[in-house]
Amino acid sequence: MAQNTKTRSNQNNERIALIQKQRKRTQVQNTMLAASGILGFILIWQIAAVSGLVNSRYIAKPLEIVNLFIVKLTDPNPDGAVLGVNVMSSLAVSLSGFGLAVLIGVPLGLFMGWYRGFDSFMRPIFEIIRPIPPVSWIPLTIVWLGIGLKAKAIIVFFAAFVPCLINSYTGIKQTSEVLINVAKTCGASNFTIFRKVGIPSAMTLTFAGIKVAIGNAWATLVAAEMLAASSGLGYMILMGRQFGRVDLVILGIVVIGAIGLVISKLIDMLENKVLGWKKL
Amino acid sequence: MPMDKKKVKLRLENISQSYVVNNEVRDAVSNVSIDVYDNEFLVILGPGHCGKSVLLNIIGGLEKPVEGNKYIDGVKFTGSDKRIGMVFQRLALMPWKTVMGNVEFGPRLAGVDKATRRKIAQKYIDLVGLKGFEKAYPHQLSGGMKQRVGIARAYANSPEILLMDEPFGQLDAQTRIVMEEEIQRIWQQEKRTIIFVTNNIEEAVYLGDRIILLSKCPARVKQIYEINLPRPRNTMDPEFLRIRREVSENTDLAL
Amino acid sequence: MSRVKTAAMSSSERKAYYLNRLYMILPVISVLLLLLLWTTASLNSDFPSPVETWNRLIELFERPIKNKTIIGHTLASLTRVFLALAFNWTFGIAFGILIGWNKKCRALFTPLFNAFRAVPPLAWIPLITMWFGIGEFPKALTVIIGSIAAVVVNTQAGLSNVQQIYLDVGTMFNANVRQKLFQIAIPSALDAIFAGVRTSTSAAWMVVLAAEMLGAKSGVGFLITRGMDSMDMPLVLMSMAVIGIVGAMLAVVTQFAERLICPWTRKRSN
Repeated sequence: MAQNTKTRSNQNNERIALIQKQRKRTQVQNTMLAASGILGFILIWQIAAVSGLVNSRYIAKPLEIVNLFIVKLTDPNPDGAVLGVNVMSSLAVSLSGFGLAVLIGVPLGLFMGWYRGFDSFMRPIFEIIRPIPPVSWIPLTIVWLGIGLKAKAIIVFFAAFVPCLINSYTGIKQTSEVLINVAKTCGASNFTIFRKVGIPSAMTLTFAGIKVAIGNAWATLVAAEMLAASSGLGYMILMGRQFGRVDLVILGIVVIGAIGLVISKLIDMLENKVLGWKKL
Repeated sequence: MPMDKKKVKLRLENISQSYVVNNEVRDAVSNVSIDVYDNEFLVILGPGHCGKSVLLNIIGGLEKPVEGNKYIDGVKFTGSDKRIGMVFQRLALMPWKTVMGNVEFGPRLAGVDKATRRKIAQKYIDLVGLKGFEKAYPHQLSGGMKQRVGIARAYANSPEILLMDEPFGQLDAQTRIVMEEEIQRIWQQEKRTIIFVTNNIEEAVYLGDRIILLSKCPARVKQIYEINLPRPRNTMDPEFLRIRREVSENTDLAL
Repeated sequence: MSRVKTAAMSSSERKAYYLNRLYMILPVISVLLLLLLWTTASLNSDFPSPVETWNRLIELFERPIKNKTIIGHTLASLTRVFLALAFNWTFGIAFGILIGWNKKCRALFTPLFNAFRAVPPLAWIPLITMWFGIGEFPKALTVIIGSIAAVVVNTQAGLSNVQQIYLDVGTMFNANVRQKLFQIAIPSALDAIFAGVRTSTSAAWMVVLAAEMLGAKSGVGFLITRGMDSMDMPLVLMSMAVIGIVGAMLAVVTQFAERLICPWTRKRSN
């Protein structure tokens, strides 16, 4: 009997080991696949550039981009600013527009979602502005504010404002009726319920909106900088196009993409921290 | 049919199932052997989370057991088999299909031509009492009606064995009683071998030709009851109540 | 009349009645206020008033720009959008299904696709114009790049989140892998796919505008730039209004199409 249980526990251990091994194998396999996807892309790029299939006026080798990245850290040519300055300028624009959108959009959405009178007053104005793409505000903002930081920040604001407002609005509308009734029976005033029940229940969706907003902000920034700017990454790309410097254009695209990835990763981390209670 | 002429339809032999959870092996079903007779209404009764559904999934081929064999009519089989149909616990109706679309789903996958499968589906829609609702979508139906669709869908694939995984567990009490009467009527009209899983003792005694009582986790066969009361059964009948109490006292309590 | 109606009500009912009326009037007040604000802003500046903007629309019918009235320019933009969307709704959905259904393909393509997606669509415009000039193809390509991600991401999510129980139903009915994909997984992901279609439509409308503003000879985006270059502010505002209206109409149309094609998503409580 004792021997029987022993062989059984041995069997179990073997089974666990096998499953762990399999899991590890799929993990390794997936990493390999992911890496080969990226490497394959770079390889095709390299072949296209080296073989002369594509005219070198239209394409730069991957290594040249890395080189240019290092050079561009200290060399302001041809667009007039080193890479660091361009990045900082872009970040300043998008973050100020984004910040403004969160500061205005989220409270507005929360109030509109909670107070019906305010909702019926603000809603039509919002519905009129919403379908107008942010990019089409560019001429107006140029006329009003020139091509400085303020003009670009306003355009970014329009892009980031909509998801902030819609999500906080939907979020607070979905506050559980039960929680509100519990608070009511405790004798809380409408404003207290709004503060203590409504806003916390709206947080998850609001955060999702903020995530969309920062993506929008970064995407619209490029347009703003291409149409109305004298510095920044978007401007750098545009100048690269005008001087026929394909390497500069590609570098700009890569840097913009990389920063976008970093920002979304940061937001994910922040969300995990703030909304940790969501995960049981 | 006289009970002494019993023919074994489905045989389970030493079925065991266990899972690896957090680097530990957990037993769910332990060494279960059951004979199910032809056209019998067999109820598998057990406390919550005791591995009843696991057993059903193994019979249906949705899970592979660690040990044990399955036989239909004395012939061994593995995996899923088209002689076996299932009525699912959660309403697994396709929300994108109408009642007709759901019921004809099985024949359609089997490649039956449209006219024939429509005829088959219509027959079973009528049988479960849903005539006139062929074009309705599941979200337009009540809980009891959805479950009728589930039963019709399983029947339409003309299985020889029907598995039912707590089909009425999520219905309200009144609807549940109606559906228990209905499933009995349907089964008497279209005899199949039914294996019906439940955790409700009254339901088990009301429906079963036999009840297989399982222990709590891991599931083992604890006791088998034969119920020879005439149908439809009266839940207030003293004999019914006596059996009910007997089963009840023997049932493990689940946490 | 209203007094007669309210006379029979209790005090709380009466309060609710008046509140409801207020809620109906408020939107009208706010829109009127907006128009008033716009008009006053235009009084003491060269900013055009609502009337001037309207007149500019009429004028455009009489004196077309580049031989096109506003309808012609809108159609030019819409053509670009639909060329791109036609590609996205076929290739994008197919690619989404591939990486949503096949785990190996997902592992292979996801990082590459994420990297591609991280680049804002408009950033591709300079590269695309360098490669292909400023004809119709590069514009359609820009719109494709700008709106394909929404389709792929939603389709992929829909297919990798198919509920196991539906697939179990397929197993019970002896469905083969192909039947599981086409009869179960894809239909059950249709609402997610449609969410992608909706998002991609509005994204495409936004991107076509930017593409046209950066260099085109027709389209509503071109009208805006034209207005800006010739200091024709009424033209700018008029174009913005048209863009907004067309954008809203596109949203309504896709929503209507969704209801038509997936009637079961209209009301699903669980």
